[in-house]
Parts: sequence; structure tokens; C-alpha cells
Amino acid sequence: MIGSIKGPAAVLLAAAMLYGMQRTTPLYSDITSPVPVTGRQGERVDTSAFAIGVANVHLAREVTASSFGRDRTYTTSGVWVIIEAAAAAKQESLSLTSAKWLGPNGVRHALSQRLSSMPGMPGTERLEPGIPRPMLMAFEVPESQLSGATLLIARSAVTPLAEEAWIKITDVRAQNIRSTVKLGRGNRSQPWTLEAQ
Amino acid sequence: MTATAANAGERRRYWFSIAALAVVLPAAILVHTGDTIREWLRDMRDPIAVESGALQRYAGADWRLTGLARLPGSLPKTAVVLAEFEATVDDPAQLAENRCQVALTDDRGRRWQPAFLPESAVHKAKPAAADKPHCGLFEGTSTGDTIMMAESFVVPEDAKSLALSVSLSGALPAYLLFR
Repeated sequence: MIGSIKGPAAVLLAAAMLYGMQRTTPLYSDITSPVPVTGRQGERVDTSAFAIGVANVHLAREVTASSFGRDRTYTTSGVWVIIEAAAAAKQESLSLTSAKWLGPNGVRHALSQRLSSMPGMPGTERLEPGIPRPMLMAFEVPESQLSGATLLIARSAVTPLAEEAWIKITDVRAQNIRSTVKLGRGNRSQPWTLEAQ
Repeated sequence: MTATAANAGERRRYWFSIAALAVVLPAAILVHTGDTIREWLRDMRDPIAVESGALQRYAGADWRLTGLARLPGSLPKTAVVLAEFEATVDDPAQLAENRCQVALTDDRGRRWQPAFLPESAVHKAKPAAADKPHCGLFEGTSTGDTIMMAESFVVPEDAKSLALSVSLSGALPAYLLFR
């Protein structure tokens, strides 16, 4: 009696396992996604290729930036997140071109393209080993995605299995949203100026 | 054939298969990653150390480092390293089909890529060098020509034992290492 059940039971079990494996097969993009290196705002995060530290996170309803001698105001239907950080390459010259704001609901916000030509933005300057450089980032995110967010920094968005710094942003509160943040051009060692009003 | 004899034969086949895995698995990995491994081997580099000022034959030309100058950098605690070098063409055809890669290395294994535009310190201290081309324009040369090149690098002030590496794609894995 038991012997006659054993066969079909094994087949059923195998089918269930195969179905489970088929349903949980990771996507190719998951298998080759960047390897996270975690850290927190205010501390240095070391990946094998670069080190980065996030100092200040400013929130604002609008950003004023001077370009070609003219002040322009950028409004947003969300909130501007302006991040001041510093980064250095470790062994080889490299550029950090990918920065994303990972909100608490799992949505990744790319860098705002509207301020991408500001000096200090990712991709405007190559990092050299041993020379830390200030880095500026700007995101437009919904107000609900401010607290509990993580900043993701990598050399590029597509390199499989490269390391990505995951920096927990701890110092953002909705009541700290300023009306305006003013960005200006700075000098060679500090490429921008920032005033919050 | 008795049952025990059949069992013994089966067991032998079983252990033989297990042992064969140890050989077959690495072989399969090797076959499937053959190209990657070949590329990796090609990247394993083979330096030709050249003393400053000495001539070295490489990829159809005679190469020489004519200057490795340290200039003040525009950022605090940095320096600009200006490397001037020249190649006297011996085999234009062999030289022409090369891509050139230049890097500056230090004793801690750090590698700097050349700046695209020379820093202002280069213009001020060595205006002639600022006008020299980057490494990589080898088309249309003829035997006996001397190509003068310059590259500049931004390095931290504490970088020591700097060496210039010049590699041409056609002559890899060998590359020149000027000290």
C-alpha cells in the first residue's frame, strides 16, 4: 500500500520543488546587480575602488542656481534634496557617475538632470587616487520618500557585480525643508557655494 | 553473474564517475571561460624597466623619457607631474597600428591616468611641453621621425617613487616603465 503511494508522492514533491524554483528564479539583472557596501551619513564608506562620505543633506522647495552669470530658479512638485559629500579614488583614476536616492518604498530616484552641469556634480570631474574631492548631488523626490532613504553611489549604473556604496541617510526631517537653497559657483578646491534660506 | 559481482561493478563505476567529476568540472569551466582567461593573461603585464634618458626599442620605435618634472598643483596638497618623452620611428607600419596607454604609478601601486588638458602650472613652467601632443598619434610617420609627446598628471603631494608606464596595444603584454 505504502509502496504504491511512494512513487506518485515523489513525483508530486519534485513537481512542487521545480515550480517553486521556477517562480523564484532571480532575474539576470538581480544576479549581476552591484554589490552593496553599507554605511551611514557622516562616516566614511570604503569600497575597493573608492571612498565616499556624505556630510550635509539640505531639503528645499526650490533651488536657485547661477549659470552663465544668470540666476535661475528651479521649482519642483516634490522636494529638492541637495547632498554635499566628498569622495576619493583609491588605486586608479575613476569617475563616479551613478547616484540614486533609494526611498523607503523601494523606488530609486535618479539624479536630477536639471542641475547636472553644476560644478561638483557626479561626472563633471574625474577622481584621482589620494586626492579627495567635494561632490554635489541633487534629487527631486516626493515628500514621503525623505526619511528612511539610502543614497546609492557607484562608478556607473551598469557595471555588473561592481561595488556600490549604500549610505543610510539619517539626518532628514520633513520639518527641515527650507524654502530656497541657493547654489553658486565656488573656487577650484570648493567648486560650489550653498546658502539655505 | 551473481548479484554481488553486479554490485561491485556498479560501485566501481560510481566511484569512477565521482573521480571523473574532479577532472571534468574544471575542464568545462576552462572551456567556457577560455576567452576571459586569455584576456586576463594578456592583461598580465610584463614591464621593461628603462632608466631616465636611456633609449629603449619598443613596438617599432626607440623610446626615451626626456623629462619627469614635478610642478605645483592648483589644489592644496597636490602636485602636477609633467612627463615628456619621445619616440624615434624605426618601423612606421608597426608603430601606426597601435593604441597608446599612459599611466603614472607610485610605490603603493596607485595608478593615475593622464589629464586631458594640461594644468595651468604646465603652461606657466613649460609652455613648450603644453603644446606637445598626447601619446597616440602615430599615423603618417616615416622612418627617422622623432615624435615628441607630453602627458600631465595630478597626484597627491605625498606620492613617491613615481614611474611612467607606456603601453602600445600591439606590443602587449610588454610595456615600458620609465623611472
